[in-house]
Amino acid sequence: MNRTVPYWIAGAALILGFLLLAPHLLPEMKIHLIIEIMIFSLWAVSFNLLFGHGGLLAFGFGAPFGVGAYAAALLFQHFAGISLVLTLSLVALLGFVTGVIIGSLSVRLKGAYFALITFGFQMFLYAIALKWYSVTKGDDGFGVTRPALSLPLAGNLSMANVVPVYYFTLAIVVLAILATYLFQKTPLGNSIALVRENDVRPPFLGYNVYLTRLTVFSVACFLAALAGGLFVFFNEFVSTAVIDMNISMIVLLMAIIGGSEYFLGPILGAAFYVLVQNWLSSLTNRWFLVMGAIFIVVVLYLEGGLISLFIPKKDQPGVSMGGK
Amino acid sequence: MGIWEIYLTTAMHGLVYGMLIFLVASGLTLVLGMAGVLNIAHAALYMLGAYFAYTFTHSTGSFWLSLILSPVIVALVAVLIERFLLRKTYAKGHVPQILLTFGLLYMISEIVRMVWGTNPLRVFEPPLLSGEIPFLGGTYPVYRLFIIGFSILILIGMLLFLMRTRVGLVIRAAVHDADMVGALGTNVPFYLFVVYAGGAILAAVAGVIAAPMLSIFSGMGDQILLDCFVVIIVGGFGSLLGAFVAALLVGELQSFGVLWIPQLALVFEFLLMAVVLAIRPTGLFGEEA
Repeated sequence: MNRTVPYWIAGAALILGFLLLAPHLLPEMKIHLIIEIMIFSLWAVSFNLLFGHGGLLAFGFGAPFGVGAYAAALLFQHFAGISLVLTLSLVALLGFVTGVIIGSLSVRLKGAYFALITFGFQMFLYAIALKWYSVTKGDDGFGVTRPALSLPLAGNLSMANVVPVYYFTLAIVVLAILATYLFQKTPLGNSIALVRENDVRPPFLGYNVYLTRLTVFSVACFLAALAGGLFVFFNEFVSTAVIDMNISMIVLLMAIIGGSEYFLGPILGAAFYVLVQNWLSSLTNRWFLVMGAIFIVVVLYLEGGLISLFIPKKDQPGVSMGGK
Repeated sequence: MGIWEIYLTTAMHGLVYGMLIFLVASGLTLVLGMAGVLNIAHAALYMLGAYFAYTFTHSTGSFWLSLILSPVIVALVAVLIERFLLRKTYAKGHVPQILLTFGLLYMISEIVRMVWGTNPLRVFEPPLLSGEIPFLGGTYPVYRLFIIGFSILILIGMLLFLMRTRVGLVIRAAVHDADMVGALGTNVPFYLFVVYAGGAILAAVAGVIAAPMLSIFSGMGDQILLDCFVVIIVGGFGSLLGAFVAALLVGELQSFGVLWIPQLALVFEFLLMAVVLAIRPTGLFGEEA
């Protein structure tokens, strides 16, 4: 086991080095793709904190993402010159509050009940986003302008160009994903895995199952809202597409396709999804047909996800795929 | 037209839509109760029912023939899906089922767009059922009355089948506890297959009878899917009575919502769901989770 550690470090350094140099090596179109992959990675990792690590299938995980996206868009729109860091902090905090509200009504339940109920809340928010036209512009959506990043010493850094957007996103996403990884290793983060394996015994050991689930759910929503905020920051546009049914399926697909048993799986899944979707939509406008087929093939023939092609499957009983 | 006539008409519209939702949701909730399978592609069967109704009505000239042919073809499609795809996921849990059936919904919607185009289509009601007749002081479209009557007939048929036959008895027992029924030597997968095919037929029938009333378009599956989700959550998983009550509630909420506050009609539906969940997390008629 110890022998693999240097490889890991080498791999991580290689990827980080590539990511740091990418804007100078690749054309602008590719940089856009990498930004999108990074944002979706953060979202998929936060989803997998619940799904892979916690055994909770939050089918309506588009809810915190969409809340974050709309909150960022509305803040950018109505408070011109608002600080970028402040906006993203507020957005993430709002995601946490959303998580507390939805979670307090849903984490008591398990399996399909939990899945459908979180989804119901997402659809509730979707209905508001769709119908509250005067604020959200419904299906049409509305555009916003990225504010500049004000740095303590260097003054204002314009975000009009894609390169600063890239580095800003990279910094936030790497920090957030690292924080998620460390959170999983804390006693609290670990206790959700305990509750996943068995939710009858932990109360006898003094664990509060409800509070554990609620806390982890809210933390995941915090991260998802941050991803949603970054998504709007990058695209400078928001519409109901950030909170509709497809977006929930996309995050689920990213986690499954990459491999939900490993922390890095969803990141691989996000990269796969963004690249394939981009490639397919340049080939055919029937890409829904191909995407649907990919869903089916993954379910039937690629149970451990893409990451299982690189790493042999764990021997011990790992994360079940939902279960009954 | 006085205010009460408007209310009565609105209530009737709500009843019509509620019955349609019930026809689609009943198969979904029974399969969910028996096997824990959340079949998202079920909504695609409703959509296929409507599209086949268009094709058959225009090629044979008979709406009644399409009311028979379309559900048969859709049931065939559904059975093939169950046999070759869905069945492989029963042991794998919810996530693969949701992904697989959602992938199917994507594919069927795209195939529908390829075959029938993207423009909304229309089927006209048979001459026998066109026009309006006097109804409780006002007038009401005959076709909508036909939908209500026809779905009540189906409902009675379903009740007789579930309550009075041996197959129905086993199905009800399996919804309650499929493992125990299986342990007693009953071939549960076979009964699941029956329910699955029956549910497909009902969804397709709903699609056919909805076709002359609503326009046929490739997003109609997504629309009814959301309503069905609300219905099975509010009614409780696996509960047919719950699905019926919830479907009528959702139908009326939508109908009166459109009358009173059109912008919030969709929001009301999900508000109802949130309220029910807060009070009874397992739905109005659901068993304890």
